[in-house]
Amino acid sequence: MDAVRALQIENLHKTYVDAYSGDEVVAIGDVSFDVAEGEFVSVLGPSGCGKTTVLNIVAGFVEQTSGSVTVAGKPVSGPGPDRGVVFQNHALFPWKTVQGNVTFGLRMRGVAKAEREATAAEYLRLVGLTGFEQRYPHELSGGMQQRLGVARVLANEPAVMLMDEPFASIDAQTRRRLQEDLTRIFQEQRPTVFFVTHDVDEAVFLSDRVVVLSGRPSSVHEIVTVDLPRPRDWRTTGELPQFRALRNRITDLLAGDESHAVADPA
Amino acid sequence: MTARRSTPTRAVAWFLAPFAALLVVWAAVVAATGVPLRIFPQVTDVVAALVSMTASGELFVHVAASLRRVLIGSVLAIVTALPFGVALGASPRLSAFFAPLLRFSVALAGIAWIPIATLWLGYGDGAVIFIVWNAMFFALTYNTLLGVRRIPLPLLRAARSMGTGRVRMFWEILLPGALPSVVTGLRVGLGYGWRGLVAAEIIATSAGLGYALFLAQKTFSTDVIIASMVIIGVLWLVMDRLLLAPLERRTVQRWGMTAARP
Repeated sequence: MDAVRALQIENLHKTYVDAYSGDEVVAIGDVSFDVAEGEFVSVLGPSGCGKTTVLNIVAGFVEQTSGSVTVAGKPVSGPGPDRGVVFQNHALFPWKTVQGNVTFGLRMRGVAKAEREATAAEYLRLVGLTGFEQRYPHELSGGMQQRLGVARVLANEPAVMLMDEPFASIDAQTRRRLQEDLTRIFQEQRPTVFFVTHDVDEAVFLSDRVVVLSGRPSSVHEIVTVDLPRPRDWRTTGELPQFRALRNRITDLLAGDESHAVADPA
Repeated sequence: MTARRSTPTRAVAWFLAPFAALLVVWAAVVAATGVPLRIFPQVTDVVAALVSMTASGELFVHVAASLRRVLIGSVLAIVTALPFGVALGASPRLSAFFAPLLRFSVALAGIAWIPIATLWLGYGDGAVIFIVWNAMFFALTYNTLLGVRRIPLPLLRAARSMGTGRVRMFWEILLPGALPSVVTGLRVGLGYGWRGLVAAEIIATSAGLGYALFLAQKTFSTDVIIASMVIIGVLWLVMDRLLLAPLERRTVQRWGMTAARP
């Protein structure tokens, strides 16, 4: 690949000591892959395979046992604004308004008020939350909360947007809408996205490439390139024979792994 | 909820109903048994005592003295206990170190310190304010610590990943995040503070509601004793309704966070 590498993960390995049994557990065996600038990469794997652990290491929340993570050429140590995280349960600040949440990162970096407001307006428009600036997160629907979570991250223009199963706890209809919203936002803004999911359809629909992890201890099973045309929407993209072929192939890859997957979830 | 909405008047009526019931039972029991005033006063005696204490200006002096001490003591408790509680909540190492001390001090908070407080600070405002502060401090510290610990990890991670520094972390994340629990701590702490105040005033001063109680006991003036107790209870309720309830409405409730009830 000749594109600039926004994120580089090399020989990532993570072990931890189980708090109850005292045993050493291998969470991540050996994981390496790159994400190019402006690329959407999903990490897919059976539950308990450590995919969220990979994300937490990239985010700087958890330290790896060995291996390296490089973002925009710099090795990662601890959390930082170059990596924005969209959490599974949105993790919005309940005591801040929609506006307060979107501008939070900019304020932390000392961006001037006028610029903050302009940026906030731009990203709230992008996620369809214009007019909700003075509401509090609990007054929004689940889908709106998650779109606000995306806006809060994008407003900081991070080198990589990390998304940890962001739509997992949202009802099926809304989830499809949010996936379409996300793919549209991706088209417009071209952020670099590292997306963790256990949903094969979601991974294929959203991604440029899908990293399929094996069961625990995880390693990269295969990296599948998704060359479906953009813009994508469920009605057309979902019906494409290529979409189904990719979905079936990835499902088979995961199923082949089920037999030796470990039964405990992370 | 589509249940009938209570109008303010109705809410006030429901709030006052149990007090009205208590007055009725009190008046009836005193009338039926005919206990003398030196044992227990009739409702009308207490009303008369309140009227004469108000007319003489005595009531105002006592209330002003007590309120001033509670206010200073609480402000001191808030400015010391909140940062300490947040620090303990944010640092497992710090809280592990201080936890045994905190637990030990809970039993001793407030009243048990009166002898030492009077030795150090003499008989007067200083000792009473110290007792109010001391009585509130531990409840507020402990609830603040719990509040910080209850902040969901992803919220802390989100803040960190957006480059939040230490000072901003305190003001923008830890303190508001802990607020449901802090409100509980304020409520419990102020309750302890008032009790500490009354006890300290009995011993250490020559003004204040506690002192009024103490003085009336010497002359068997049960009407003044009960009148002073009523004032203490009313002041506490007014503080709760006028300060804590609006604080809770404007923050915790507005933000959709549920307050932990004591």
